[in-house]
Amino acid sequence: MHMLSFLRVLKYAFQDLWRNIGLSFMTVFILVLMLLSINTLWSIDILTKEAIGAIKQQIDVSIYFVPEATDKNVEEIQTYIKLFPEVTNIDLQSRDQVLQSFRDQNGSQAEVLQALDELGQNPFGPTLVVKTKEPGDYKKIIDSLNVPEYKDLIEAKSFDNHGAAIERLQSIINRIEQGGIGLTALFAIISFLIIFNTIRVAINTQRTEISVKRLVGASNWFIRGPYLIESLIFTILSVAITIGIVFFALRWVDPYLAVVLPDGFSLTNYFKSNILMLFGAQALAVLVLTVVSTGLAMSKQLKV
Amino acid sequence: MIDVSGVTKIYSNGTPALRSVNLHINAGDFVSIVGQSGTGKSTLVKLLIAEERPSKGHISVGGWDITRINSSDIPYLRRQIGVVFQDFKLLPKRTVYENISFALEVAGERYHRIREVVPQVLEIVGLSQKGGSYPYQLSGGEQQRTAIARSLVHRPKIIVADEPTGNLDSINAAEIVSILKKINEFGTTIILVTHNREIVNHLKQRVVTLHGGEIINDEECGKYRL
Repeated sequence: MHMLSFLRVLKYAFQDLWRNIGLSFMTVFILVLMLLSINTLWSIDILTKEAIGAIKQQIDVSIYFVPEATDKNVEEIQTYIKLFPEVTNIDLQSRDQVLQSFRDQNGSQAEVLQALDELGQNPFGPTLVVKTKEPGDYKKIIDSLNVPEYKDLIEAKSFDNHGAAIERLQSIINRIEQGGIGLTALFAIISFLIIFNTIRVAINTQRTEISVKRLVGASNWFIRGPYLIESLIFTILSVAITIGIVFFALRWVDPYLAVVLPDGFSLTNYFKSNILMLFGAQALAVLVLTVVSTGLAMSKQLKV
Repeated sequence: MIDVSGVTKIYSNGTPALRSVNLHINAGDFVSIVGQSGTGKSTLVKLLIAEERPSKGHISVGGWDITRINSSDIPYLRRQIGVVFQDFKLLPKRTVYENISFALEVAGERYHRIREVVPQVLEIVGLSQKGGSYPYQLSGGEQQRTAIARSLVHRPKIIVADEPTGNLDSINAAEIVSILKKINEFGTTIILVTHNREIVNHLKQRVVTLHGGEIINDEECGKYRL
């Protein structure tokens, strides 16, 4: 008997969907728009983080030693810097490597190379290229080197030149993150109100039907059931359509991203590897939204 | 069959609709409840089908204590009382057949039983050829006959008809009353709420007259007196 009731509720759900095809289409359309907007925001957030990560990767601080600094001096400072937990990588460039790098960078400037040759010796000291977890950590590293013992060993630190830029970047990153959270929250509220009202209008148009069903002896399950199943169908349809559109759009976006972002970053791959989490969460959110809206909209009619 | 004792109904806005109403209806009776608009006729119907609860007093219908009925039991009560309304209350997006079968489906009847019963009731009300039509494709009289057919599918012991002829011309109204009389002859109790003098006088059955929320007259083989 329970199976028979369930099958009948299923039948009513599909009948209602088909006989109110215009309204069903509009509901799915609005849900798809909402999901597309969420996915766009999500993608922007992922891309922002990826771009910021790439920029952070490109920032480092170079510590230039005087030519007289010995290997032991350099090794001691390298060991000292390694002790900082913020440091992720230290690259040591020997005097010869620094000279070669200088020659490579100034290969087209004959006068510079000529002056270098006239010196008859390597004027460069070794260099340490340090990378940290966050741009803000560089200041701490540099400050730790501003001590009298190292004063005569270190000729220059490139952080002095990048300091302002790094601080500005950090400030931009923070603002983007705060703005992103605010925008997402605002959009979620607007989406909720739109979808809630759409479903409420849909239920209100069927108010007479609901009251008639009550009067001929339909239980709450027979009245609510079809709407709940319709909510489930709306959810499945809207999420499926959104997945289709998102992956179709990513096929066009990815080649451009590959040029801009390093290491061949692909949003398609990101979405594919997180598909269950991304679309599962969205499906759950839409289902809760439609079921809650349906429940609230129907509570008045079910008192007949 | 139906026992209304000391029932008062005051709506939440303070409007009194019924005052200390006492009414007893036996099984198989055909009772017309008459009165001008706003005298409490429809409120009485709403109380009988548990659409409203009395403010005071006690109602029992076919052994059901309506006064204390649980919300979850109301659907079962409504399956045992056939109700016919002035505005038909049909499901607009379902055919005549589906409107009638819906009442059986919600009660859990099996399909073979539905396929057996629906054509029978359609024949009783003379709509055998209209099963596939939608309500908007029917005349007022045909829509009301569909509503009566729907009220019959559970073979109820009671049918409450609230102004069933209110939206119909005299010929269709006479047809509807004739169908109700036929149903009554099979032993079903009929409560006809109306303000149609001609119909009441023609029926020559029990007439209960309401005025100002009170019963002012109750006579066997009565007439419309107002």
